Amino acid sequence: MSTYYKDADDLYKIYGYFLDRVLQDEKIGTKMSKAGIIIKFIYTDPDAEITIDLKNPPSKKGYYGTFYLGPCDLKEDVWSKQPADHSHRFWHGLENPIAGVTKGIIKQGGKVTAMLKLLPVIKPAFKMYPIALKEMGLDHLIVSK
Amino acid sequence: MHGNTGKIADISLAEGTVTMLNLPEDTYRSFIGGSGLGAKLFWDRADFSADPLSPEALFILMNGPLTGIRLSGASRMSATARSPLTGGLAESSCGGYFAPALRLAGYDGLVITGRADKPSVICIDKDIITIEDAASLWGRGIEESTMALHGTYGKKSTSLVIGPAGENLVPFACILNEAHHAFGRCGMGAVMGSKNLKAIVVKEAKGELSLADPDRVKAMIKELTPRIREHLISQVLHDFGTSGNLEGHMYSGDVPVKNWTSNFNEEMGDALTGSTLSERFLKKVGTCAYCAVACKRIVQVDEGPYAIPEGPGPEYETVVSFGSLLGTPDLAAVCKAGRVCNDLGMDTISAGATIAWAMEAYERGDLTDERTGGMALRWGDMDLVANSILPMMASRSGKLGELLSKGSAGAARAIGGNTINYTAQSKGLEAPMHDPRGGHGHALAYAVSPRGACHVQTAMHFMETGACNYPEIGFEFDLEALTGDGKPETMVLAAAIGCIENSACLCQFADRSFTMQEIAELINAAAGYKYTLSEMMDAGMRGYDLKRCINFLLGFTAADDTLSPRLLEPARDGDTAGIEIHFDDMKKKFYHLMELDPVKGVPSRRRLEAEGLSDEAERIWPGTS
Repeated sequence: MSTYYKDADDLYKIYGYFLDRVLQDEKIGTKMSKAGIIIKFIYTDPDAEITIDLKNPPSKKGYYGTFYLGPCDLKEDVWSKQPADHSHRFWHGLENPIAGVTKGIIKQGGKVTAMLKLLPVIKPAFKMYPIALKEMGLDHLIVSK
Repeated sequence: MHGNTGKIADISLAEGTVTMLNLPEDTYRSFIGGSGLGAKLFWDRADFSADPLSPEALFILMNGPLTGIRLSGASRMSATARSPLTGGLAESSCGGYFAPALRLAGYDGLVITGRADKPSVICIDKDIITIEDAASLWGRGIEESTMALHGTYGKKSTSLVIGPAGENLVPFACILNEAHHAFGRCGMGAVMGSKNLKAIVVKEAKGELSLADPDRVKAMIKELTPRIREHLISQVLHDFGTSGNLEGHMYSGDVPVKNWTSNFNEEMGDALTGSTLSERFLKKVGTCAYCAVACKRIVQVDEGPYAIPEGPGPEYETVVSFGSLLGTPDLAAVCKAGRVCNDLGMDTISAGATIAWAMEAYERGDLTDERTGGMALRWGDMDLVANSILPMMASRSGKLGELLSKGSAGAARAIGGNTINYTAQSKGLEAPMHDPRGGHGHALAYAVSPRGACHVQTAMHFMETGACNYPEIGFEFDLEALTGDGKPETMVLAAAIGCIENSACLCQFADRSFTMQEIAELINAAAGYKYTLSEMMDAGMRGYDLKRCINFLLGFTAADDTLSPRLLEPARDGDTAGIEIHFDDMKKKFYHLMELDPVKGVPSRRRLEAEGLSDEAERIWPGTS
């Protein structure tokens, strides 16, 4: 059972709020959009899917990409599957993704090297995630070291 | 004997004779092969008072028990000698094509002594080993020499070749196979040069291996190969080369900039990273024998001042040594400098690091125009580096060439003052391009590695970054890069694992997805050692401890297990800024765990005897019990 998310809808609410900010952030968004790929994140416990489209023109003005909460028809270039709680800690900057893959916590497929190259780009977002939780009144979900 | 052939050619260049060494099988089993067996041969045969470049000095090339089995990552071999750069134990590892060729020709290794009376080539043609004239090659670059050797000995031949730097005894001269794969570190090229040995050639890689359990070897190769290919690290290496994640490493403080004065520069990270290399200059990928990873780059720079024809491209260490370390984001210039340095036959790490040190010394006013012969050493002046400084270093010409040909520590000692403080080295060996301030375990690993600052003599680099996980030996990743917590305990395992990898002669990229149990099973299937996991770990540790004993007899003590001050300064910028490395605490705990004497730096008599090194113990601890 997830420590941080009640269910998939709860997860979508949090990531929706967070990604909305990340994909409008000029520094992060500009660099992310250069990746030119579609990434599907698959979560377990709760089961959920989020797709981030950095390949097609953004659907909204002021955004550097488009995200879809829940299953969607876009064909991904790369996918990554992990427990939702692991992802929650990752976005706090508390999980080493290389170790996650090495230990089999994270499974990946497709153009994984393209996704790996996004890691340094999204690093500044680690500071944004706890702020997003706070703004949503979810201080109790903020994880510290 | 299986896997190994049981034949080591003992070649005296002075006498012009070749005899066969047949070591007991138990000696192979005790030291695995490669660097462990090289260390054992060195211990048994070396004159510890001999100058590294004297005729008496030993030069040992050793294969591992897996060499030639057609598995990705099993085409490496190890060289052992006394280093002309550090004065301590030298070991270096090289991939490519020579190791399997030597094995298929019937040999586990070569022990070379003496000095030929004229430039020579050792030619190995199955059972016949001859020493032939190489006068026409002397003075030529490695690329040209390699081509000439193919012309003389046939297209199927493969060779180890030195360049002008090795001939001129530059103490960080390297040896190249097929002008691309390097015994880079510790000055092995100078050791060959001191023996008037321009090249070693195997005429044809043809022969049969005798394996203990050929079916099991075949099954394991079938099982492991897809896993190697699909491993995250392999995919990055294949797509973008060893510099594939350079910009990512830049953010974690791993990439040194401008002689280690900084470890963060976004522009350089983007400009120098592997994907940029692929987009701008990659012609095709290259590989070592039998390898599915194919991390090598074949590049071409079409135009501009750094245009180079299609040929070997730079790997990560070269990209950083001639890139960010010298303060340039110019990747074309890096490709050119790397090609020039390789052709001259110098280790790109030591060469780049020495030039970077000199640039800082010039900026500080410690290196004057009088010392440089009027050359202004400015950060990022790659025209000067590629076209003037590197050739001068290789030929030891001019005041600057003579000074920098000593390596950074030697040059710093020559000009004095506090200039040694801003070299980046341990035991005189320049640090590779992974900044310990981005991973504190590296600081310990560099300091306690027997050959000096090195990230591949132990497995710490991959263990600290999370790229391996060995629950079967009690290592499950739980390390934070920017602390010393858990690093001494990790280092104990890393020392043994590194020695196993370098003795089995496995590539540390290709074997990342292997469990330690699988490595033991592979060795058993190939060589019939019948290792349990713990016996293999013991063999790795035995090798590591023996190397420490060798260093002690070569004059090194615990005080040498340290880093130059620059490497221990807190970082000045980036995410790692201001974080202190608690080096002394890590070293103290590691020494305790390893039963290392706090003065001598060698294992206790009890520990050596428990490892089966009783003779060694008596020599290190005479008259004690």
